[in-house]
Parts: sequence; C-alpha cells; structure tokens
Amino acid sequence: MKSKISIDLHKLSRFVNLFLPILAIIFFLAGLKLSFYYHFLTVSFLFATALNVFYLYLQNGHALLRNFGLLAQGRYMLESVGPELRQYLYASDTEEKPFNRLERAEVYRKSQNIDSASSFGSLHTFDATELKIRHSLFPTPTSELTPYSLTFGEERGIENTHTIRKPYIISAMSYGALGKNAVRALARGAKLADITMNTGEGGYPKYHLMEGCDLIFQLGTAKFGVRNKDGTLNEEKLKEIADKPTIKMIEIKLSQGAKPGKGGLLPKEKISDEIAELRGVSKEHDVVSPAFHSECKDYTSLTQFIKRVQNIANIPVGIKLCIGDLAQFENMIQEFKKQDIFPDWITIDGSEGGTGAAPRAFIDRVGMPLLPALKGANDALNEAGVRNRLKLLASGKLIGPGRQMLAFCLGADAICSARGFMLSLGCIQAIQCGSNACPVGITTHDPKLEHGLDISIKAARVRNYVNNLKHDIDELVAATGCQSINDLSFKHLYVPADSSISPHVPNN
Amino acid sequence: MTKAAKTTSWVFQIIAVIIMGQTLAFKFSGHPTTLAIFEEINMPYGHIIIGVLELAACILLLMPQSIVYGATLGAGLMTGAIIGHITELGWEGERGQLGLLAIATLVSCNIVLFIRRKDIPLIKGILSESNLPKD
Ligand SMILES: Cc1cc2nc3c(=O)[nH]c(=O)nc-3n(C[C@H](O)[C@H](O)[C@H](O)COP(=O)(O)O)c2cc1C
Repeated sequence: MKSKISIDLHKLSRFVNLFLPILAIIFFLAGLKLSFYYHFLTVSFLFATALNVFYLYLQNGHALLRNFGLLAQGRYMLESVGPELRQYLYASDTEEKPFNRLERAEVYRKSQNIDSASSFGSLHTFDATELKIRHSLFPTPTSELTPYSLTFGEERGIENTHTIRKPYIISAMSYGALGKNAVRALARGAKLADITMNTGEGGYPKYHLMEGCDLIFQLGTAKFGVRNKDGTLNEEKLKEIADKPTIKMIEIKLSQGAKPGKGGLLPKEKISDEIAELRGVSKEHDVVSPAFHSECKDYTSLTQFIKRVQNIANIPVGIKLCIGDLAQFENMIQEFKKQDIFPDWITIDGSEGGTGAAPRAFIDRVGMPLLPALKGANDALNEAGVRNRLKLLASGKLIGPGRQMLAFCLGADAICSARGFMLSLGCIQAIQCGSNACPVGITTHDPKLEHGLDISIKAARVRNYVNNLKHDIDELVAATGCQSINDLSFKHLYVPADSSISPHVPNN
Repeated sequence: MTKAAKTTSWVFQIIAVIIMGQTLAFKFSGHPTTLAIFEEINMPYGHIIIGVLELAACILLLMPQSIVYGATLGAGLMTGAIIGHITELGWEGERGQLGLLAIATLVSCNIVLFIRRKDIPLIKGILSESNLPKD
C-alpha cells in the first residue's frame, strides 16, 4: 500500500536526470546575462551531467546506476556508512557480532585496569541453552589456590621442555595479517605479562623476535619461512629457527576454525615488499596457502610428519586443528597410539575463530564450534587412555573469564586467544582486517594508520589484560571449591538440555 | 597502473601546473591586461578568486594523494575559461593564445583523469575489476 507522502523514486530519478543538463543550460544563460559568476554553477552541472551520462549509458556493471543515474549513488553512499551507523547508533549492547559491546567493554576495561564490576543484573537472556558454572557451597580461600603451571614436552621426557605459569597464550596471528607495530606491541606485552606468543604462519618471525618474549613458531601449510621451492619442508631452515633461544615450541597448523579445509589467505592489498621477502612469495596476487601439508596424506603420514618435526626440533611440537568430524579425530588418536607418537599438545580451534581473510561460507558454515569439539576431543583422549600423553589447548572467542572457565571445565589446559588480544590493543571491531585499512593500525601496513598504535602503551595494556583475566579466573576457580584449573571438570558445569554440547553428553 | 601510464600522467600534470602556474603572477599582482579581462566579463575580484583556485589546483595536482581532485578542479576552471572566451572574450590576438592554453590545460587534466580514473570517487567503485566482496 502506498502512503500519501511516499516519493516515487523512479519518477524522481527521471526528473533529476532530465534537469541536470537543463540546469546547466539555465545557469549558462544566467552567466551570459546576469553575472559571469553563474558559470561556477554551469561548470558544476555540466560535470554532474557528464557523470550521469557515464552512469546511464557508458557502464554496465551496476544496474541501479544504469537505470536511475546519479540519484542511485545515494543508496550506495548510505549503504557504505551502514555498518558504522548500526554499530554506533542502532545496535544494542548485546547484539553485535562477533563480539558485542559488553564483551568488548570487558576486555577494554581489563586492559586499562578499570574496575569491571557491573550493576543491577545480567544482560543475557537466561534461556535454556546457556552453560553455567557450578559454584560450591564451600569456596576455596583464594590464598590457598595452587599456583598454575603447565609443562609442555614433559610426557616425552625431552630436555627442552617449556613451562607456562599463566594459562594464556597469544594465538597465531602472522606478520602480514597484523602490522609490525601490532606484532611488536603483542610481543612486548607477552614479555611483560610473562606469557608465550604464537608467531602465526607468516614466515620468518622477524618482528616477533625483536621483543625477546617466549615464542611458538607456527608451521603453516605453505611452510612460509621454512619452505623449499616446491613447498615441502626445509629441515635446515626449521632447525635454524627452532634453535633460537626464544623459540620455545613449534605448532604444526593443520587447520584453523575460520577456514578449516582451506589454506590461509593474504589479500594482495596487504603484501609489502618485506612480507613478500619474509614469505618468499610474489606481490602481485593474493597468497593462498594449500589446504593441507603435502607431507600429510593420511593418518599414518600425518603421525610420521609430527615425529619428523619433533626429531628436527629439540623442543615441544604440537598441532592445531579445527575438528570437522569427531570420528576422524578419534581415528587420529588411535593412530598416534598405534605408532606411540604423540604431539606435545593439541590446540582445538572452534569454527567461531577469527581470521584476517577467508571466504564467507568458510567463516560461517564450516567446522565444529569450540565447546562441543573440545568436549568430544577430551572424551576421545580419555577413552583411548592417552589424555596424559599430551596437553589440550582451546581457542575460539575465549576472550573473557566466563567463557574461558567453560573451556577449562571441558578439558582445556590453557587458553589461546587472538581477538581477545587484538581488542586489548584497542581493536574497535571495524572488520577491515583484509583491506589494509584497519582504522586503529592493527591489521594494516599503512604507515599512517600504524602510526596511531603506540607500542609501549599497548604492550602495557596486554599485560593488564592478562593479569586481570588471571585474577578473575582465580576467583572463579575458588568459587567452584577447586584448588586449581587442573581440578575443573565437566561436573562443574550446569548443562541445560538444549545446549550446544548436550548431544555429546551420554544419557542426555 | 603501469609505469608508462604513471609517467604519462605526471607529464600532463606538470604541463597543467606550468600553464596555470605562470599566469598566477599576473593574477596576484593585478597586471593591467589580466584586470582588463576580468573587468570585461564583469568579475570584480575575479583575478584573486580564480587565482586562488588555480593555485589550489596546482598544489593538488602535485600531491600524490590528491591528483584527481586537482585535475577535476583544473578541468572545471578551464571549462569556465573556455566559456568566457566563447561568450565574451573572443579569440583575437593574445586572447586566442590564452584560449588555446586553456584548452591545452583542459585536455591535460582530462588525460590525467582518464589515466587515474580508478582513483576518482564516485567512479572508482564501478571500474574496479571485480566488485565481489573480499574479506
Ligand atoms: C587477524 C588474525 C590472523 C590470524 N592468523 C592466523 C594464522 O596465521 N594461523 C593460525 O593458525 N590462525 C590464525 N588466526 C586464528 C587465531 O589464531 C585463532 O585460532 C582464532 O582467531 C580463534 O581465537 P579468537 O576467537 O580468540 O580470535 C588468525 C586470527 C586473526 C583474527
């Protein structure tokens, strides 16, 4: 039904298209008879007419402009500011994705050491699907908690084990996805907070190494930094990196939650000369990594490859994957058991994970979400009787203490987060990570934008974030009546019948 | 943009800047011939206003981020100048020379705009090879 005041945009645009040249003529006449100054308008309308002719007759990529001309630009302009308008004006505090304003505010407050007490009540919908933590009638006094400590590689009895004393690891983000200031701020922050940082699959970790923090070198499917020309592993180069004193561990990336079954992607907008050199690739095209390691064709060769990397590098070696099918995960564990070869840890990345760039459908539709995947993985390891042969790490939107507790209860030994740390650096969730236009200078190589990111101030934010998370986790663990994170288990969770992990709970 | 295209563009940018720039001294010092011209088309202070705009066009044409804006402004000013010659000033003698210089500048600015069409707001979105979303 048409209301009386509705405007017929079709008629309006025809009117505009007709009147642009007519106005140009009118102003020309005015310039002729009244004052030459009218020719400023003559020229403007001549140009507008020319632009309109181009839209209407000379281009065919945009149907709307072809049909309606200049006026249709209004739609594109409005559409282009839509995300900002929604984010600032119209979206409620619990509505935005991937992280709503409440979740982000918690990270910002922790990073800036601002008290994060909230008032009046929860803003969540208390529906039948939310997991909750069961507290105890008799909480542990926080002074009696056992200090956290996790030693990678102890199961294999190797010499160079690596111990972490806070349950946090900065998850893989490559130099390439991140700009150099962001990498250095994170690395310096990791050093200040005494946590370990993953380099991501960006090749030789030049900027990560600068700050002297403990590092996990990530071996991506394209093996940037340690590849032969044909994309296979170059053992000497890997050995060279593994021998550096601050490289404490190596992570073999099998897949990533945001794009499981597809290799990494670095858009050409973001490839500088330096990145091309550190990775050994061309600047002219997007860099697309293969979906899997050419050495890993089946369970047997995958296990052998892990062994091979463990032999080359005399340090702990783990794997990272997003689970597609738990049955395949179980088969993999069986093969590990059969060959008696285990990675020193497994990182389970949930399909809700983040990325610098990936196709929409992979981000949205591929892979198991973290909580059920983590539960399934932990159960599979327990059933096979090998849970004590390795550590289990988890990542996937674990940016606040509440959700991190869920992961600990489901079996995680430590937490990896990428976007939590990006937020602590001041990420405003502008979702520009792939376009080199990150407004806060995190995922960009544009010197003007990177200029805004002060390394030492942001490093301190990273430290504060970690310390405040640790503080909250200690209080939560104490509330459950446990002594340490190790004591947390599935029975500390209240699991409603319709939650995402219910199908994986026996007798449910 | 290929290197050749880039060089061509810069050559025409410089041509436009030189032609517009060398008239600025006459405009700002209020040289009698210049004043006469602006008097004739009845633009008091026209020499200052147009002079300032031409100076702006020259500066924009020389700064890498703003070349297309400079070229657009330059093209607009020259279109105005040509309208002046057609309607009131005519092409006799020195006037003809000035008119031809205006045409040369207009052509240069248009060449620059054509070469750099992928930088022009309102047009660049349509010309980029793929409009597929990339994230
Ligand atoms: C900008 C960015 C770059 C990333 N680069 C990598 C990478 O190089 N290798 C990798 O395995 N994962 C990469 N990831 C995925 C993260 O390491 C992590 O698994 C995922 O984002 C889940 O953690 P989060 O929800 O805390 O962000 C990247 C994520 C982001 C946001």
